[in-house]
Amino acid sequence: MLVLSRRAGESVVLGEDITITVLEVRGDVVRVGIDAPRSLKVHRAELLEQLEQENRQAASPSEDVVANLTRALGDEPEG
Amino acid sequence: MTTAMMAPMPTTDSDLPIIEMVRPMPGFPDRRRFALVRLDPAGDLCSMTSLDEPDLRFLVVPPARFFPDYAPEVEDDVLADLEIESEEDVLLLVVLRAGSSLASTTANLAAPVLVNTATRRGGQIVLDQPGLPIAAPLTA
Repeated sequence: MLVLSRRAGESVVLGEDITITVLEVRGDVVRVGIDAPRSLKVHRAELLEQLEQENRQAASPSEDVVANLTRALGDEPEG
Repeated sequence: MTTAMMAPMPTTDSDLPIIEMVRPMPGFPDRRRFALVRLDPAGDLCSMTSLDEPDLRFLVVPPARFFPDYAPEVEDDVLADLEIESEEDVLLLVVLRAGSSLASTTANLAAPVLVNTATRRGGQIVLDQPGLPIAAPLTA
């Protein structure tokens, strides 16, 4: 991992068209601004980790569970 | 755009629409092709079964019945990836984590599945918007 020290207002440039700027440092909170093409997906790492975990939990429920849920949703009145 | 307007669900199993997840589900980056099958003719519960790993499947459902106000906005790059040209072609689904009962079943509103019913391109879209829970109880 490349480690750089930056002050508030300073930036690093990744490749041709990505700029990451340190906007503010207050206590243990650092605000960063990311300037990148819209096609580049930028997400908080912990959100992606949560989604990965949630998908793994959601994946491949047992036949019993699926049958129960199918029945329950079929019984539930529309609306 | 918003996803308030939605394409109709596939109506028959014979349809067996195969969707290509151009934005794969987080945690399953290599699983790209899924069969979308309605599980109950009377309900709208569907399964998304991986063609690459047949034991892998997810339960998905259109959210309107449970979350009538849920109309996530997606960015233009999502529309481009899914080649969406008309709102009428968009099928909005949420992934369920099935519990032992309806009351313990949750839906992922933070990352819905969008399918372009015209091109069969789909993706789980990471919204990263405040107020959208990863595990919203189905019966709130």
